[in-house]
Amino acid sequence: MSPLEFFADHTYRIVFAGTVVIGLVAGALGSFAYLRKQSLISDVISHAALPGTLIAFLTAVVVLGTDGRSMLGLILGAVVVGTLAVLAANGLTQATKIRIDTAMAISLTVFFGAGMLLLRVISNGDYPGKGGIADYLFGNASVITVADLVTSAVVGGLALLVMGVFWKEFALRTFDPAHTSALGFRASAVDALMFITIVIATVIGVKAVGLVLMVAFVITPPAAARQWTSTLRSMVALSAAIGAVGSGTGAYLSIVLGVPTGPAIVLTLFGIFAVSIAASPRRSVIMRGLARARARAALRRELLAETGATSGGSVASAGAGGSVPGTRSDGVGQS
Amino acid sequence: MSTPTAARTRSLSVAYRSTPVLRNVDLDVPEGVVLGIVGPNGAGKSTLLKAMLGLVRPLTGTSEFFGRPLSQVRQRVAYMPQSASVDWDFPATVSGVVGMGTYGRLGWLRRPGRTEHEATLRALEHVGIADLAERQIGELSGGQRQRTFLARALAQHPDLLLMDEPFQGVDARSQQAIVAVLHAMRSQGRTVVLVHHDLATVRDYCDHVALLNERLVAAGPVGEAFTRENVRTTYDVTDTDALADLLT
Repeated sequence: MSPLEFFADHTYRIVFAGTVVIGLVAGALGSFAYLRKQSLISDVISHAALPGTLIAFLTAVVVLGTDGRSMLGLILGAVVVGTLAVLAANGLTQATKIRIDTAMAISLTVFFGAGMLLLRVISNGDYPGKGGIADYLFGNASVITVADLVTSAVVGGLALLVMGVFWKEFALRTFDPAHTSALGFRASAVDALMFITIVIATVIGVKAVGLVLMVAFVITPPAAARQWTSTLRSMVALSAAIGAVGSGTGAYLSIVLGVPTGPAIVLTLFGIFAVSIAASPRRSVIMRGLARARARAALRRELLAETGATSGGSVASAGAGGSVPGTRSDGVGQS
Repeated sequence: MSTPTAARTRSLSVAYRSTPVLRNVDLDVPEGVVLGIVGPNGAGKSTLLKAMLGLVRPLTGTSEFFGRPLSQVRQRVAYMPQSASVDWDFPATVSGVVGMGTYGRLGWLRRPGRTEHEATLRALEHVGIADLAERQIGELSGGQRQRTFLARALAQHPDLLLMDEPFQGVDARSQQAIVAVLHAMRSQGRTVVLVHHDLATVRDYCDHVALLNERLVAAGPVGEAFTRENVRTTYDVTDTDALADLLT
C-alpha cells in the first residue's frame, strides 16, 4: 500500500494520528521517568490502569448510563488507580525494608490480578459495549474514534503544557533533589506535578497499544534520545520526535503488513534504540571502544618512547613495535 | 551577644529511625568566618548541615540563620551537597548546572533571564572554570565537579555557604581554587561552614572549628578549640602516635 492510499483512508489516518500523539507525549514526558531512574514506574501505572479503566467502565454503564468506553472516563479511572498503585509501592518501601523493585512488582501484579478478575466479571455480565474492553490488554488501534483522538490530544497537550510551565522546577528536581529543597522549592509539589504528567503519558496509550506494551513508549524513546543529546532540552525534544516518528512508522507498517499496531511500534522504537546505542558519536558501544583503543595505542607509543629514550639500544625495535598498532588505529579513526 | 551570628542551632538532635546521629548540638557560627566541622566518620557532620537546612527532620531543637528562621532568609543561605549525591551522567552542561543556583531567587514559574545569565558567568569565572561552560558535566574530573557545584552555590550570591566535603576527590589545583574562593568570601564578610575531614589543613583553611562526634565536643576559634585534648576526645584515640597521624 502506498502512503497516498494509506492516508486516503479515514480509519488509517485516525490510527496514524492517534499513535503519533501517544508517541510524542510519552516520549517527551518519559524522559523524566528515565532520568529519575524510575523506568518501571510506567509499567506499574499501565498495569494498574486495567482495574481503573474497568471501574470507570462499570461506573459509566451502571451508574451514569453512558458509553463505558469513552476515552475521558478511561483516562480518569486509569489515573486514579495507577496513582494508587505507585503510592502503594512507595509506601511499602518506606514502611518496610522491602526494596522498590520488589514493591513495584508486588503492586503491579496485585492490581493487574484484580483487573483480570474484574474483566471476567464484566464479560460474564450483561453490560452494553463490553465487547471492546478486552482490547485494553493488548490494545487495538483500529477502534480509536475521532473523539478518542481529540481527548488524548487535549489531555496529552495539557501534560506537555505542565512540563513547559514548570520546566525549571522539573529540571532542578530531576538533577538534584536535595538542592531543590535547599533552594526553597516544595519537593513534594514538584514530584506530584511530574508524576501526574508521567501517569497521563502512560494511560493515554492504553486503549490503542495496550497496557502490556505501554512502558516501551515511555522508556525506549528517551533511552535512544539520550545517546545523541547533551542537554535536557534537546533530549526531551528528540525523545518526543523519536516517539512520534517511531509510532507513525510502526502504525503504517502494521497496516501495510497486516500485523497488530502496538507490537509493530514497539519493534520500530527498538530499531531506533539499537541504532542509537550502536552508532551515536559520543556514547555508542562501538565509538567508545574505538576511542579507548586509540587512547591505549597512543599511551603505548608514549610508554615505548620513554623506554627507548632511557635505554638507547632498543630504540629501533620499540619504535617499530609501537608504530604498527598506532597506524592501524589512526586508520580506523579516520574511517 | 555582641558578634552577629550567621547560623545558630539550639539542642539540635537527629535520629535515623531510632538510632541517634546528633545529640543536643548548640552551635554558633559567627559572621565572616570560615568554620570547619570535623569529626570521625559517622559523627553526624553531614547530618548537621542537612538538619540545619531542614533536609532531614530534627528530633529536637531549632536552627536559625541571621537571627531568623530559614524560610525568611532562604536565599541568603546556599548549600553545596557532596558531589557524589547526584548522577553526573545527566544531560546538562556546566553552565546549565551552575545556572540552577539562580532558580531559588526566581521562585516558581519565573524563568531565568539576563541577570541570571550574568550571575552564572560571574560564578564560573570566580571558580576558574569559565572555559568549561559548555562542557558536558559527565566529562568533568572530580575537582571540576566540585568547582561546578561551588559555582552553582555562588550563583545564588549567598551570605552563608554550607559545604559538605568540598575537597572530596579533588586534585591539588582545584583544592587551591576552592580555598581561594572561600577566603575571598570571608574577606567580603560572608560566612562559610564546611564539613572537613583532613585535620592537617584545618589551621590553613579555617578560622573557627567545631569538633563533632554525635555531640559537639568543642567549638570556637581554631587557636582555642582545636587543641590536642579536644581532638583526642572527639576521635576517641588514646595513644599519642595515632593522634599525631590524625594531625599531620
